[in-house]
Amino acid sequence: MIATLGRSARLKAASLLYSLGFFYNVLKETARFFSKSQVGYKVLILQILFTGYEALAINAIMAIAIGAAINVIGSSLLPQFGQSQLMYSILIIVITRELGPLLTAFVITARSGTAIATQLGTMVVNHEIEAYIAVGLNPISYLVVPRFIGVVVSMLVLTIYFNIFGLLGSFIVVQVIKPTPILEYLGALMSTLTVGDVASGLTKALVFGIVVSVVATYQGFSVNRASTEIPVAGIRAVGLSFILIIVADVLLTLVQYA
Amino acid sequence: MKFKIKFADQIVGLFILVALAFFVAIVVLIGANQRWFAKDYGFVTSFASAAGLAPGTSIMMKGFTVGKIDKLTLNANNTVDAEFHIFDTYYEKVREYSILELTVSPIGLGSQLLFHPGRSEVRLSEGAFIPTAASPEGQTLIEQELVEIPPKDDTITRLLANVNPLLENTNKTVVTVNRTLTEVNRALAGQSTGPLGDIVTDASAAAGDVRARVGGLLDQVSSLLSELETISANLVATTDSIRDPTGLVPRLLDPSGSIKTFLDDDDALYKKVMSIVGEVDRSMKSLQGIISGLNSEMPKVAGLLNETRTAIQQAQDVLEGVRNNPLIRGGVTERVQQESLYRAMREGSFE
Repeated sequence: MIATLGRSARLKAASLLYSLGFFYNVLKETARFFSKSQVGYKVLILQILFTGYEALAINAIMAIAIGAAINVIGSSLLPQFGQSQLMYSILIIVITRELGPLLTAFVITARSGTAIATQLGTMVVNHEIEAYIAVGLNPISYLVVPRFIGVVVSMLVLTIYFNIFGLLGSFIVVQVIKPTPILEYLGALMSTLTVGDVASGLTKALVFGIVVSVVATYQGFSVNRASTEIPVAGIRAVGLSFILIIVADVLLTLVQYA
Repeated sequence: MKFKIKFADQIVGLFILVALAFFVAIVVLIGANQRWFAKDYGFVTSFASAAGLAPGTSIMMKGFTVGKIDKLTLNANNTVDAEFHIFDTYYEKVREYSILELTVSPIGLGSQLLFHPGRSEVRLSEGAFIPTAASPEGQTLIEQELVEIPPKDDTITRLLANVNPLLENTNKTVVTVNRTLTEVNRALAGQSTGPLGDIVTDASAAAGDVRARVGGLLDQVSSLLSELETISANLVATTDSIRDPTGLVPRLLDPSGSIKTFLDDDDALYKKVMSIVGEVDRSMKSLQGIISGLNSEMPKVAGLLNETRTAIQQAQDVLEGVRNNPLIRGGVTERVQQESLYRAMREGSFE
């Protein structure tokens, strides 16, 4: 039993070191990505298109719904305590600092994380990776880095859109229930919103984007030979991404508020 | 080729550019609302304590934020030096004699730093010292009415402002009630020289007078009644004697009886009877005079009784009011009854 535990720990440690090495290689290749003209640019554009642009609709609907819910609940509940002005603070904390990056990361994980893991897993099973290596293409440079940058950029851009739709789009919904002058709403919102709030949300988005893309690509490359490993890799990518996103969110929140 | 794939570059470019444009717009709006591009005018002040203050605390004037606290430092004199700035929009309000006032919510809702402009046309230059309302300098400016201090507009402060006069009135009422009770006690003890004491004294004297007068009258009336009882008994005995056929009357009517002898007395009996009648007549007149005197005294007696009753009712009302007043309930010290000494302490020495 002790031997089993020891072997398991050794394998885990080796796996961790391998993943750290993989992450290091991704960062190293990312730094070199923009300094040289390469075909990976087209992959990057398509990755942003699929991960960012195509997720915009669901992201916007979620943002508007959550923003409207906070507006409606806040405008009916907070006046009972004489704290109506806190509605904007709550809206900003929930939309900009917490739920914006978190829900966007979940959406990207569910949509693109699985897609990336599945796609790379399929390429491994089909020996495409070996073909890339055979013709002198670095698979990390050509396959991982565009996806890594694409997911991170999409995450950042979608978080900005989530903030816009959550803070401003919900205003349209609120107008149906409780008409409020737009200038008054915007003035109060912008007086409460700080650069720290925006930076906090974008920092989380950056970290979550890195987590999702690295985990998805790593899990995609972890497929060996059988095609049955591909959906398993996708599931592992989603599960591990969710866990790491939540852990990262907690750590970043602690750093910001500590 | 699908539209999205064909124009992927344009779509992605637009997707990112719109987001960047929104981001820049939001940052600019935040900056505009948070006065990144506006000039602020710095001033300094001094507080006794930094409790309720912090860098970033808003300085309010009539509900508007006119500035913020920048820095707080505890100096060598154990007072707090504060640097603050006033927005350029409100710089014209910063005139000579202006003061700052730190107000703390009485119900624990935090504190508020208020700016009160001075009544002067001279505008203070940047970096000038502005005293606080709690400082002697600020107090002097307030006493000299050189500062525009608006009335407090929050409900709690207004309520508290109204509570003080109420408490003063309550205190005055309690003092008045205490004085009244003391006066009543002194009057009842016969030690008062005021109107209530006079009333009680008069009532007591009137009651004593009435008791004395009525006692005298009752003595006279009782003596008269006893005399009348005697007369009545005599008349009853006489009537019985007259009704008895073998009694006094036949013997009186008998010519050989003693009546003849009795009546043949040179009107001595007649004179005696007449003198008795005269005494009875005088007694009746005396009784009539007593009764008329008693009648003449009755209004006075009635008046005295009314005054006494009114005084007792007033005293009863006062005592009931005092007993029912929740503010001083339990406020009157319970009187300790002094047990009477049956035996003086040194009595034994002189036995």
